[in-house]
Parts: sequence; structure tokens; C-alpha cells
Amino acid sequence: MNSSPDRPRGWLSLVLHDAHFWIPVAVLIGGLLVLRWIS
Amino acid sequence: MTAPSGGDVTDTGAALDERRVRRLQTVGILCGLTAGAWLGAAETPTKLVTLGLSPVVISLAMVVGVFLARWSLPALIQGTSYIAADLRQAPHLIVWAVLAGCLWAVANTLTIFAVRDVGLSIAFPLWNSNSLLGIFWGILFFNELRGADWRRWLGVLGGALLMFVGATALAIASATQAPRADALRGVVAALSAGVLWGTMYIPYRKAYLTGMSPLSFITFFTVGELGMMTTLAVVYSGGFTPLWHQLSGARHVLFWLLLGGFVWVVGDLFQQYAVKYAGITRGIPLSNTNQLWGLGWAVLVFGELSGATSSVYTQVIGGSLIMALGAGVIAFSSVSRREHARWEEAAAREGQRYGVDPAYTRERGAGRDGTTTRHRRTWIDWLVVSGATATLVGFAAVAKAPQLAIRWQWAAVLAVVTLGALAGCGTALWRTTRFN
Repeated sequence: MNSSPDRPRGWLSLVLHDAHFWIPVAVLIGGLLVLRWIS
Repeated sequence: MTAPSGGDVTDTGAALDERRVRRLQTVGILCGLTAGAWLGAAETPTKLVTLGLSPVVISLAMVVGVFLARWSLPALIQGTSYIAADLRQAPHLIVWAVLAGCLWAVANTLTIFAVRDVGLSIAFPLWNSNSLLGIFWGILFFNELRGADWRRWLGVLGGALLMFVGATALAIASATQAPRADALRGVVAALSAGVLWGTMYIPYRKAYLTGMSPLSFITFFTVGELGMMTTLAVVYSGGFTPLWHQLSGARHVLFWLLLGGFVWVVGDLFQQYAVKYAGITRGIPLSNTNQLWGLGWAVLVFGELSGATSSVYTQVIGGSLIMALGAGVIAFSSVSRREHARWEEAAAREGQRYGVDPAYTRERGAGRDGTTTRHRRTWIDWLVVSGATATLVGFAAVAKAPQLAIRWQWAAVLAVVTLGALAGCGTALWRTTRFN
């Protein structure tokens, strides 16, 4: 196995361009808003 | 620690055969059930909220216990060098792990508000609706149930429907248990926690399809947990100084909360293995049997619901049983070889997207190490384990037993069963995957 496989772009950039990533981010923001409401 | 070779772990061949898939499935199911027992036991410290502690202080103390466990257990089981090697293969998963940790911290805080407002026996099944959302994400993003026959679809969706019916019965019961305004806030808090936890399975599944070991994932997961929880605690306490005063004032019960966090991690670790080997659609509903364990602790040990009408008992117990039945139906809708092949496609897609070595993804998906490198424990591992142990002992030294009415006989029975599940499942997991 590769110890440092070649990646065409930085992995952070790949994460930010992954549509799946923004779903948990949106849910997290929603959760913080609910917390603010109930506390 | 080095992982000795031998047994089923060294099954040869790149492709997974039917027998290996079945074996991994069985281990995944066992992990889900064990996770349920431990996650259920870990929620009992939230009862301390009735002693007047702030929910964020309780949550922060639990997260500190979680942090200690999430670093010390992996260091003890596999060693930090193993974790470092894992992260070099898929460094992008650090971001996903931290994000999942943030989701967990917010959800956990919401559950404590929910317990305060509607009680443990009501709140528990409501936030366990997270499995419905998890199933949805599993089907949508990770090819779960794709290629499955109609019986498996029926099993999973029928089980999900049963769980919804059970949750509804419990929500109706909540209206009779708390003042209207508190009931609304408690139900919203519990359901929101369910959404956060249900979405948290996206990062989980990403990591495990890619091939990362749960032991590696949780070490960075907990950075997100502790960071988010500390921020929330400071903000909601009005600054560092008020928070410090609250923590100091609660020092006699902090140990129990740390212990609750530690126990939670054991359950969560099994849950992560369940997600890895049984998928979200099966692993999460099974681990959500923690609802029954939570109900057992609440009713048998803490005497919750005593004095309630028989109608409330019927709704709460009936609703819980229906939810558990739904989870069981889902769990036994086993994964076929054809469906597993679709999982492998999703894993290959993830690997390709992030440039991860296909051999790493393939071997780890099969529960094998895939390398000849031996990872030995170092002084760093012993330092982490010693530090965590010393911290727990330090808090235990100043701890006092909470002034709660506890039925110790029932507590002992449940503790013995929970420890038995740990021993049995831990052995099965070790024999099959060497904790990979």
C-alpha cells in the first residue's frame, strides 16, 4: 500500500468540493439554533 | 500492540467470499447489540440533572470522560503508531471525524435538555429516531439496500415504520408526563438530537467504507467533540470564570459523569464496528436497542415512572417494545453478497474521490489489516493510558455517591449482563478482525 498516495488536489479542497460534506454542516448549524432556542 | 496473524483474519483472496461476508455480518450484528447495552448504561448519569447541575456542565464533564476514553482505549488496543499509519492513508477523514464530533457534542447536549424536560424513558426513544435518518443516508449515499431483494427492503422499511409508530406512542405519552411548554421543548430537543446523530452516520460510513479503523477515527472525532462542547459550555455558562465555578461546585459528582462518558465510548466503539461491518441500515437500529437498556436502568434502578397511571405505563412500554421490534426486523434483513458488492462500489468511489490506495480500502473493508507492518506500543501509548487513568482516579478520590434512590440489586444485575456482552462480543470481534 502507498504510504503517501498521489492526490491530484489537496485533500481539504476535495472535502470542501464533496456535496456530502455540506449536509452535516447544515444539520450542525440547525442543531445549534435549536439549542439556542431551548436553553 | 501488534496484531498476530492467523485464524479468519488471514483469509486470502482479494474478493470477499460468501462465508467471509456472513462472518463479518454476524460480528457487526453482535457489535450492534453490545453497543445497545453500553450506550444504554452510559445515559444513566444524565439523571444527575435532577440534582440541579447545568445541562452544559453535565455534557462537558461527560465529553471529558469521552475524550479520555477515545485516546486511551485506541492507544491500549492498537497503539498510536497504528493510528498514525491509518491517517497517512486517508488524511481527509480528519475533517470528517472532527465534524462528526461536533455533531455528537451538540446532540448530546440536546439530550440532556430533553431528559430534564420529558424524562429519560420518553426522551430516549425519540432521539433514537436517528436510525430512520441513518437508513435514509445509507440508501441515498452509500448503496445500502441497493441490489437487495424485496424481502430485505420490506424488512428495513417495515422495521422503520414500526419504529416510527413506537416513537409516536411515546411522544403522546410525554404530554401526560410534563407541563406542556416543557414537553414541547423536550420533544423538540430529543428529535433534534436524533437528526444530528442520524446525520453523523454520513462521516462514519465515509470513514469505514474508505477503510479506516474505528479506533483511528474516534481519536480525531473526539477533538471535535471536546472543542465544540467546551465552546458551548463557555458560551452558555457566561464565560470561563462562571464555568469554572460550576465545575468546582460539582467536583464531587464529576467522576460519575466522566465515568458515564467512558462507558459511552465503549458502546460507541461497538456501534462504529457495527456500522463498519453491518452497515448503517442494520448496525444503527441494533445499537438503538439502547432504548430498552435505558428504559431498564430508568425503571428498574432509578424507579422512574413510579406512580404513573397504568395507561402511561402501557404507552411507554408498548411504544418501546414496538420500536425494538422494528429494530429487530431491520437487523435480521441480512446483507446479501449482491448488496455487499454495491457497498464495495461505493467504497471504490470514495477511494477514487480522495485518492486513497484501492488495496487499503479493499483489505480494510474485509476486516483485514492488509499490511505486513507491525505496530508496537511506544512510550506515548503508555503516557496516554497512564494520564487517562490518573485523571479518572483523581476525580474518583473526591467523588461522593449521588443522593439518588438507587435499587442496587437491579444495578448489579444490569452491570453483570453488560460486562458479559463486552467480553463475548470483544472476543468475537478480535477473532474475526483483530479490531481492524
